[in-house]
Amino acid sequence: MIRPPLSLLVAGLAVLIGMAGLVRGSIPQTAAADSASSVQTAPIVVGGAYVREPATTVNAAAYFTIFNTSDTPDVLTSVASGAGAAASLHSETASGGMKITSAGLTIPAKSSIALSPGKGHVMIEKLYGTLTAGQTVNLQLTFARAGEVLVTAPVVGLLAPAPTATGPK
Amino acid sequence: MKVLLARARWAAVLAVALTALGSLLAGCGSSSGSAAKSSATTAELNDRVNGSTYQGVGLTPPQPRPQFTLKDTSGRTFKFGSATAGKPTLLFFGYTNCPDVCPQTLADITNALTTVPAKLKAETQVVFVTTDVKHDTAAVLKSYLGKFDVDLPTKFIGLYGTQSEIDAAQVASHITLAEDGGQTHSAEVLLYGSDDYARVAFLQSTNESGQIAHDLQLVSGVK
Repeated sequence: MIRPPLSLLVAGLAVLIGMAGLVRGSIPQTAAADSASSVQTAPIVVGGAYVREPATTVNAAAYFTIFNTSDTPDVLTSVASGAGAAASLHSETASGGMKITSAGLTIPAKSSIALSPGKGHVMIEKLYGTLTAGQTVNLQLTFARAGEVLVTAPVVGLLAPAPTATGPK
Repeated sequence: MKVLLARARWAAVLAVALTALGSLLAGCGSSSGSAAKSSATTAELNDRVNGSTYQGVGLTPPQPRPQFTLKDTSGRTFKFGSATAGKPTLLFFGYTNCPDVCPQTLADITNALTTVPAKLKAETQVVFVTTDVKHDTAAVLKSYLGKFDVDLPTKFIGLYGTQSEIDAAQVASHITLAEDGGQTHSAEVLLYGSDDYARVAFLQSTNESGQIAHDLQLVSGVK
């Protein structure tokens, strides 16, 4: 009876473990949004969110910075807010204007996009009530890959400085 | 809301390019560069290249204080040229349902005025001309501006008029005509000095209030 050399066994085992590792490694890529127990950083992190206290009772603007920590571009496809019956994403056009971003907002891989005055905002319309400094507004952002991301945005006074966005650690 | 940015003016293009360059340089110098540091770098670059001491966007050639006639929020006729003559004046066109650039710009103006000496704070005229002829009545304008000027000694002046009167005011001020019922409008704030010329204007930026406070003191002879 011929016994295979020990070194060959070890090598074979290493290949098997390696393959298993590769397979395992691929799982979070496709199922990250469903994996509640994932210890990885969330693919989309939203920072510096705030709603500017409006000077009217008609509408209000929410601002935030979206960090895409993944290796794949993601698209913010829709927005909703607990402060008003309607919400839409507005962003700057190439000509320097601003309009509803119906095609969604793409956040490139390993990148971030800041919505700030003149650059873009979530416009909250049909407000349910008066928004004043100190209150908070819930925003639901839906991404093509990362799914729904909930953001709690403080209402910042009309003349107060905007909070600064801190990225993922 | 929609905002048309500044006119394609050579000086403006240069200033924007320099601003971008300034930001880039600040970014290279320090990964945690603060907004204040970044704007200082931009200002230094502007000083060196075009000889301007302004932190806003320089206007070349300077624009004389325009003459146009509208109504103020008490319903009285307001002749901009004669009513504001000789006084430092900030002129801005916008509309009250604008959630983004308009309130931020008015807040920046208020915050700038709170930092300048008391005499200048009192004599500076802030004029907001609505581009939304249909919605912005005297009462709407008065309520809106009252949210911003509440702690200032001199109240903001809100002006409205017919579409042709508003158009004429924009033409006289060399501002891009607003479109879409006033919702696409220039974001430019014009600053007229005590010599009745505008040599600098401001666009929305992270340090617009600092820029306005700085340049307001220059054109009024405080600095």
